[in-house]
Amino acid sequence: MSYPFWDEPIGYGVLMAVIAVLHVFVSHFAIGGGLYLVVSEHLARKADDTLRLEFLEKLSKFFVLVTLVAGALTGVGIWFIIGLIAPTATEALIHNYVWGWATEWTFFVVEIAAAMIYFYGWKTMTPRAHMIVGWIYFVFAWLSLFIINGIVTFMLTPGQWLVTGDFWDGFFNPTFWPSLALRTGVCVMLAGLYALLVASREQAGAFKARTVRYSAGWGIAGLAVTALCQYWYWKAIPAVVTAKALQTMPTPIQSIEVSIWLAVGIGALLVVFGLLAPRKLGFAAAAVLMVLGLVWFGAFEWFRESIRKPYVLAGYIYGNGTEVANTERYKKEGYLAQMAFKTGDDGADLFCHACRSCHTLDGYKALKPAFDGMDRAFIAAIVRSSHLLRGNMPPFLGTAAEADKIADYLSQRIDKRPLTEIYKLEGSKLGRKAYELRCGKCHVIGAASDKSKSFAGQSADDLNSMLNMAAELGDGMPAYTGSAAERIALVAFLQTLGKGGRK
Amino acid sequence: MNLPDYQFISAPLWLVTVLHLLTLSLHFMAMNFLLGGVIITLWSSAKKRWDGPTAVRFTRIFPAATAATVTLGVAPLLFLQLVFHRQMYSAAIVSGWFWLFVVAAVIVAYYALYRASFEGQRTARVSKAALLLALLGLLYVSLVYSSVFSMTEQLGLVRDLYAKNQSGWVWNPAVGDYALRWLHMVLGAVTVGGFFVGLLGRHDVEVFATGKRFFIGGMVAAALAGMIYLMSLEQLIGAFMRTPAVWALTASIALSLLSLHFFVRKHFWLAGVALFLSVMGMVFARHTVRLLMLAGQFDPASLRVAPQWSPFAMFLACFVVMLVVLAWMLRMFFGAKKSEA
Repeated sequence: MSYPFWDEPIGYGVLMAVIAVLHVFVSHFAIGGGLYLVVSEHLARKADDTLRLEFLEKLSKFFVLVTLVAGALTGVGIWFIIGLIAPTATEALIHNYVWGWATEWTFFVVEIAAAMIYFYGWKTMTPRAHMIVGWIYFVFAWLSLFIINGIVTFMLTPGQWLVTGDFWDGFFNPTFWPSLALRTGVCVMLAGLYALLVASREQAGAFKARTVRYSAGWGIAGLAVTALCQYWYWKAIPAVVTAKALQTMPTPIQSIEVSIWLAVGIGALLVVFGLLAPRKLGFAAAAVLMVLGLVWFGAFEWFRESIRKPYVLAGYIYGNGTEVANTERYKKEGYLAQMAFKTGDDGADLFCHACRSCHTLDGYKALKPAFDGMDRAFIAAIVRSSHLLRGNMPPFLGTAAEADKIADYLSQRIDKRPLTEIYKLEGSKLGRKAYELRCGKCHVIGAASDKSKSFAGQSADDLNSMLNMAAELGDGMPAYTGSAAERIALVAFLQTLGKGGRK
Repeated sequence: MNLPDYQFISAPLWLVTVLHLLTLSLHFMAMNFLLGGVIITLWSSAKKRWDGPTAVRFTRIFPAATAATVTLGVAPLLFLQLVFHRQMYSAAIVSGWFWLFVVAAVIVAYYALYRASFEGQRTARVSKAALLLALLGLLYVSLVYSSVFSMTEQLGLVRDLYAKNQSGWVWNPAVGDYALRWLHMVLGAVTVGGFFVGLLGRHDVEVFATGKRFFIGGMVAAALAGMIYLMSLEQLIGAFMRTPAVWALTASIALSLLSLHFFVRKHFWLAGVALFLSVMGMVFARHTVRLLMLAGQFDPASLRVAPQWSPFAMFLACFVVMLVVLAWMLRMFFGAKKSEA
């Protein structure tokens, strides 16, 4: 609330993902690639393998172009974007970890210098000095990961830091080691996948076969480490978080499922094209492997980001920038009193600071379709109970009047026609839509919050009575405020749910 | 539950300020070399003054200079955020898109400089086009920085601008507040660029003369722009004159002239050291102006200090290791190049 709000149309999640996914992919590849280069150079020099040395020199050119430019600058880009979309959390991180970042900067400087010297030194430096520079590059790049890993894992599992506020308690937090091991595995895997991509362009022959086999070995080794560590990582996350995710948060669980299937796919392709038929590895297959690697890593990062919800710094700052420590102040004084920058439109300011960090009106995680056809009272009730929605929303800590202002703001921007007109629906389809919009925000069919079974054997009158007293059924339940036509359709749909019909 | 408070700085303010100003000065040297170098190389190739090996050599160094500029720019940005986070993020947010495109502009400039570097003299037109593209990118970055950092000193202006437009497409309209400072910075870059042209082309009379011309011309023009900027501060001048920064600025001007003196006599080490100290003095003066402009709104001394000495010791140890490893690698690299020659 101490900062202005950047009201851009794309959605913070998308902006962050575009920059961060690109950066983590390149930066992990930069570490693994450095190890691949220097180990391979060592082996090639030992075997006096000039073909491989030429291959490695070629590899290092593209490596430098990708890592030094795109890798380094998207890293800076993350600094830029987090300052724009999550200034409060960034401020908290900087204040706590400035010396961590400053230390990482010293590694970064050496890493960049070593990469350039390694690349430009192929022809001029002695083999020994060149390989030492290669090792320096890898060690400092990995140390960079060591530091950043401490800060990134802190965001999900701050551990004892929440009690002590001590730098080291936060840094060596519960997921630090599994995450470090997992990411090291990712580095090795990506290095192998990238080397396969370059090797796939080589002419078919013995050299290509052994280079592909060798690089596939890196991919498989990295994948194996990663797969084991992913389980370790999952177990290191506090059980209360994982249990909640399993019950109420589909995104992180789906991300894990996707990453498992992708790992299986990558492993199968590596065995087939890398080990069994290395001469047949074409550019297309290598590119597919690379893309699968990217998507796999993206899925893991998506998991990490989504399981952290509703927080941006777990237990400390919510995703919308509200601070847990200020809960009582928000409740007493409201959000508006805390805002240092205002537009003159309270509804817009409240909507931005409470909701817009994650939602747009009609783009990414759009709210308009979620509220089209709904009334102001219903919207206000949903705003007040936001923490009950699927477990990943921060609580609304402002005053009741502020919730009403957000409801006003939203209701002025949605389609106010009845659902029958907006969606041209009737009968069970209308009932399903009404359920989706009025009930399904919390009671997801098939999920832990599914109440379908309780409708079994209930008559239309029973269900109507239930709707009449909806606001009294539980904490946060909104009153039923829909039209008569919707009510009839909804009741009919609830009856089908009670009979086990979920279509 | 009493959660830890994050509103503190983890080292005494003087220490953070020293690190900020030192790393910012280093960043400026690299950035000036890059921006000034690109401007002079393009100018020279347009005039066909030294369209030969020296220009190629200079062009080859640009990617490394960009790497140095970026890496040396990270640390001052970090220390700046530690103290001036409220001002900086607020100003950046109202100019969100312009601010974010800085990253894209640097990436484009960086790749363009690599292209020019790899292209060399093979296709001069491609090389020049790449350099021109890089120059546009660098100038964009400098303009955005001037616009945004000028706003950091006027949160009232940020509030007004934000109230009217929240889209992130806001450019600082108070151009008069930063146009001269921006011009001073670009001319300063040309001055430093001229120094490095002279240094790299010291064995070639024509190239050295070109470097000297830019060094002197840039210095005179930058001094003029700087003085006019200082005068434009009006009510702040009096306060500025009562701070130690006025001595730092005076020393900077003297050091610039001393640097020129050594440069003409081809004592490049001494000239370089004097030039760097001169930049440091100006950075200090600029920092003082910022504090004066923020007076009454924000005083960094009001921040709670809660030192984290063990993480700081880790940083210090790693900083020393960084210097040692860098020195060793550069010795290996340039030693090898020398023996190759």
